[in-house]
Amino acid sequence: MYKIMGAMFVIGAAGFLGLTVANAYQNRPRELRDMQTALHLLETEIAYGATPLVEALENVATRVPSPVGRFISEVARELSAGYGATVREAWEFGLNGYRAETFLKDEDLSVVKGLGDVLGASDRNDQIKHLRLAVERLKAQNLKADDEAKRNVRLWQCLGFTAGLAITLILI
Amino acid sequence: MLTVRSQVLNRETQTARGILNYVPPSLRSLLEGLPDSVWCELEEVRLRVNRPLLINLTSKELLVDRRGQVVGKPGAAYLVTADDLVRTLQLVTGSSLYAVEEELRSGYVTVSGGHRVGIVGRTVMDGDRIQTMKQFTGINVRISREVTGAADTLMPYLLDGLRVRHTLIVSPPGCGKTTILRDVARLVSDGVASLGFPGLTVGLVDERSELAGCYRGVPQRDVGLRTDVLDACPKALGMFILLRAMAPRVIVTDEIGRTEDVSALEEVINAGVTIISTAHAASLDELLHRPVLKNILAMKVFERLVMLGRSRGPGTIEKIVNGQTMRVIGSG
Repeated sequence: MYKIMGAMFVIGAAGFLGLTVANAYQNRPRELRDMQTALHLLETEIAYGATPLVEALENVATRVPSPVGRFISEVARELSAGYGATVREAWEFGLNGYRAETFLKDEDLSVVKGLGDVLGASDRNDQIKHLRLAVERLKAQNLKADDEAKRNVRLWQCLGFTAGLAITLILI
Repeated sequence: MLTVRSQVLNRETQTARGILNYVPPSLRSLLEGLPDSVWCELEEVRLRVNRPLLINLTSKELLVDRRGQVVGKPGAAYLVTADDLVRTLQLVTGSSLYAVEEELRSGYVTVSGGHRVGIVGRTVMDGDRIQTMKQFTGINVRISREVTGAADTLMPYLLDGLRVRHTLIVSPPGCGKTTILRDVARLVSDGVASLGFPGLTVGLVDERSELAGCYRGVPQRDVGLRTDVLDACPKALGMFILLRAMAPRVIVTDEIGRTEDVSALEEVINAGVTIISTAHAASLDELLHRPVLKNILAMKVFERLVMLGRSRGPGTIEKIVNGQTMRVIGSG
């Protein structure tokens, strides 16, 4: 009786672990797409409305799912706090909170981080160029992430349970 | 009487304190402590990288140290850092240089409250036109004040029954040209009950966003209830647009002096619309020697020339001249 319960527990735990890893592989491309959408929206706000950055970020934040949306709204909040935080500082502040929630890898985040140095600091055409470049780079990361997801999601989904099963067999 | 005066002072101080939202905490803490007597006279706060923080009042100039105390020697004063400037700019531009591109080209940004922030740095040219500015080195925060009633004594000279006379307000810089012009616009638009003048539709071309002090398109100053404001539009173009679109009876615009302004002016006058404007000049003689203005004056279209000065503070009306006979007909 106890043996069976222990076995079920081991299989369940290992399976859950596998599913979590698989989930991370699935979430990264999705979040990369959200980030691209956010930057696209920001480009539109800047290019056609010349909307001031805080307002533009607030508008974008309501239209993309979290954690990307939350990251953007944190940046907007920091900027509008009124103590003259530079965009770079506010962006960095937002990223620090975002790192804890994100499924993005460091190489994806470095693309996003780079934007903090240029956002709001030049004329419209220049802003558009920077945002487009960032979206292009995220798109490349997205292809890589999709590829990795395709290879790894099924693998980890099965691997967890199989490993659990193997451990039980050895222990019995 | 005393309470009315203190109320006015209080309101002026409040308007001036609005600029605190546009300076970073390092400067805010030291400006905040300045007494009300300074605030109600405050005209400019000047920030220059690595140079002392200067505060210009109506009558004098102040240096302030890092604790917000007024000091005598420049050596003891607070030195403005490059970081102060960067942060001020972030606040003034709302962290979005792209949103104030046009303003930056002309060198200043209008902020909430109608205050104007002048900015200098290194310009980037595109042909013969300024593309943008970078490496900012100096900021001048100019407090905008609305002195309602500044033009009260002037109105009887400008009215001719139910119409307003073509008027040119002439003054050296810093004598309250804009303030007087704004108040004239308000009085013409609202009407003056004591003179039995009902008020006319006014079109205001505010090329430098100074008259109405538009912030995000909303006038921050009282320019009258029958006034249409065309914000940040070149004067000559703006006068044509207003003429065609808004059917004004009076067009008010700041600082005429370019050749294209003259043809626009003729158009306006031919359409039977009154023009009220200003010009930079220290005296009537100087005005008569300015190439473009000379021609305008030779046309004798301006029926009233108002000379301003500072003999009793900014906005003093020194004399009022009949533009046709060139005779002095009154003074403030």
